Amino acid sequence: MKKRWINYIIAFFIIITLNFVIPRLLPGDPLSAIYGDEVLLNLSDEATDYINKLYGLDKPVIARYFIYVFSIFRGNFGYSIYHKKPVLEILISHLPYTLILTGLSMLLASISGAILGIESGWRRGKKIDRFILSSIIFISGFPAFFTGAIFLIIFGIILGILPFQGAVEAYSGFSGFNLAVDFLKHLVLPLFSLVIVYIPTAYLLTRNSMISSLKEPYILFARAKGLTDTRIRYRHAGRNSLIPLTTQMGIHLATGLITGALFIEIVYSYPGMGTLIYNSILNRDYPVLQGSLFMVTLLVLIVNFFMDIFYVKLDPRIEYAY
Amino acid sequence: MLEVKNLNVSFNGKKILKSLNFKLKAGDITAVVGESGTGKTTLAMSIMGLISEQFSNAKVSGNIFFNGIDICTADRNQLQQLRWKRISMVFQNVDNILNPTLSINSQISEIMPGKNNDLKIKNTLARVGFPPERAVAYPHQLSMGEKQKVLLAMAYILEPELVILDEPTSSLDHHTRNNLIDIIKKMSSGRAVLILTHDLDTVRKLTKKTIMLYGGSIIEAGDTEAIFSNPRHPYTRGLLRSFPSTDRTKDLQGIRGKPEFVEEGCPFHPRCTQSINICRIQKPPLDEYEDRMLSCHRGGIIPLLEVKDVSKSYNGLDVLKSVSLNIYEGETVTLLGRSGSGKTTLAKIIMGLLKADSGEIYLDTRQVNKWDFNFYSRVQMIFQEVASAISHRLNVFEAVTEPLVIQKITERKILEEEAKKVLSEVQLPADHDFLRLYPHHLSGGELQRIVIARALILSPGLLIADEPTSSLDASIQAKILKLLNNIQEERGLGMLFITHDLGVARKVSDKILKLDNGIITEERIK
Repeated sequence: MKKRWINYIIAFFIIITLNFVIPRLLPGDPLSAIYGDEVLLNLSDEATDYINKLYGLDKPVIARYFIYVFSIFRGNFGYSIYHKKPVLEILISHLPYTLILTGLSMLLASISGAILGIESGWRRGKKIDRFILSSIIFISGFPAFFTGAIFLIIFGIILGILPFQGAVEAYSGFSGFNLAVDFLKHLVLPLFSLVIVYIPTAYLLTRNSMISSLKEPYILFARAKGLTDTRIRYRHAGRNSLIPLTTQMGIHLATGLITGALFIEIVYSYPGMGTLIYNSILNRDYPVLQGSLFMVTLLVLIVNFFMDIFYVKLDPRIEYAY
Repeated sequence: MLEVKNLNVSFNGKKILKSLNFKLKAGDITAVVGESGTGKTTLAMSIMGLISEQFSNAKVSGNIFFNGIDICTADRNQLQQLRWKRISMVFQNVDNILNPTLSINSQISEIMPGKNNDLKIKNTLARVGFPPERAVAYPHQLSMGEKQKVLLAMAYILEPELVILDEPTSSLDHHTRNNLIDIIKKMSSGRAVLILTHDLDTVRKLTKKTIMLYGGSIIEAGDTEAIFSNPRHPYTRGLLRSFPSTDRTKDLQGIRGKPEFVEEGCPFHPRCTQSINICRIQKPPLDEYEDRMLSCHRGGIIPLLEVKDVSKSYNGLDVLKSVSLNIYEGETVTLLGRSGSGKTTLAKIIMGLLKADSGEIYLDTRQVNKWDFNFYSRVQMIFQEVASAISHRLNVFEAVTEPLVIQKITERKILEEEAKKVLSEVQLPADHDFLRLYPHHLSGGELQRIVIARALILSPGLLIADEPTSSLDASIQAKILKLLNNIQEERGLGMLFITHDLGVARKVSDKILKLDNGIITEERIK
């Protein structure tokens, strides 16, 4: 357990360092990014020096690195030139939407995917299994933005039963319960589009490992013990089939946060991290981009930490291997 | 209690169990013995009613009556009522037989009805010698022996009427095994217990009855003690001979060939040294035979030679006083005695070189009246003095093929072929140059091999070896003894081995007879 803590701390520092180094490897210098080449060319040397000092660019790289690390620990992620706001403030206003959207959709997708996978693997080769399998493979062919767009057109425009833009109705003045209902209404379409995107992986992984679990000797033993089918299916075979899914979820969260959510958030103009990252790239808003990436990696680290704990609960052999 | 009636199980049309019939009584511990792949586990699965549920490509016919319920036709509900509550099983302790992600405690408690079973679990674990406080552990934290104890505890905890144990002691060390045998004995009283194993040591210590299974058929069944001390089926004997034990002195012998799937006839016929035509065509029925059930067209291991009340005296000196002995197919009987005790006299009488004063000799259950070609093609002898046993005027080829020539087989091609075959069997070169050597070119060991080759060329059933190694030094003697052992395994040769050396006798014999003052007494090999 202690060793694991050290691992996480090392990983954290590597992330911070990379986050510091990578933007500095980009071509051009920060001043030209801020003021543009033309302005810089016309500046006097004194003025340039002054600006350099203002932004701390006169200090050696190592010193700048330590300043960066310390300011991160103080919660200072810099200042967005585009938004004219501190980066942290911007992150805090976007992060919760993404957390709720991706977290909830992953949870729903994993649960329903796992249950479908377990039931389908149990009935391997039967009609119902073949039906679920082929429909899910069909769905998995759609890219995220396509599913999102289809949902938007059908439920948002043609049927007009659900809102499809933003996280809450703008200028509605809702508060309390009404605000919550409005928020949930706006969540439904992006959420289910994402669930549809995530389900196939969860389902296929669980179904496959279910099929191999069912061949294990302890399943035969469980049958001989006279246990009920449900018990064998969920407690013996199902539970052990969740192990690969858990691994996959830990890994997937990173990509899920950025790519999956990114497309869906843009389709529904949902004000989450995806939209934020997308806009920052368009506007060359480097401090925000850097801050967002830091947040995402930190999140992945935290999620992985909990996955690690959950993993040992699921498969006690893991602890043994440490 | 349990009656298996005409049980057939096949997978993808391949018959794994072939019309099994047997009964179990409460209180009996019965072993089903057989090599891996003979269908032991299939039998266990059938009794648990798991075959058709677990394998979609399996076909089961026949009946398994358990207290009047036919397991083969019972529905799921009935089976669920039987399983574990009335019939339980100790599964073979393979990897992942216990669910790796559940603790021992939760895997035991899920078979128990109701709640609050902690005390009972604790007690049962303690009874099998598993520390109850370790029940919180996961399977990967236990040793093989501990897992075996957990499996035992699980099988006995609901006090079922029938317990099936699949290889309960294999892959355990000697100490743990004996410990488990005691536990099983203690836990099994009053129940019917079926032990499936290839570990003969366990069978002997634990069971009253034994069923020998080969190729999915019962080949021999009866009291364990009777079967072990006097195996009647060639396979049973072969298996006993292959099994290392501390009280056997004869070198390990296997069974020739390897297990193969046999569609028709006796399942053992390709490996059997005494099989005849009918064995290939027709499966022998399981018939009552004296104290046991036996499935063999030849009535078990056939008697080769029977000497009955043979007496002989020289000038009023009684050398043999009404001596009797039996030699069975594939068996080595040693005649042990001092020089001049009459060993060679008896050998010569059997060979017809001397005439007995009284008594009878039977070969293949027929009385021998005249010693003719037929007799000598069945019985051959190896003599004590190798140097004088081969005429110095004959070369290797002539010496080895001499018996064939005497039997009026003179075609050069056949002779050469046969000579080469037997020479390679005794591990001598069979090339042209070697065939033309004369006895004085050869060493004592080589000469002895040639004598053995000469004795084998007529494919005799019985070999009488009179001090075949006494003139050889120890290293060559060891080779010759091994050679004889191997030839016996391959051909099922019966051997009368005459020696004065107890050490040699113990290494080669199934039975040692001591000849002293003209009387034979049997020496127990211990």
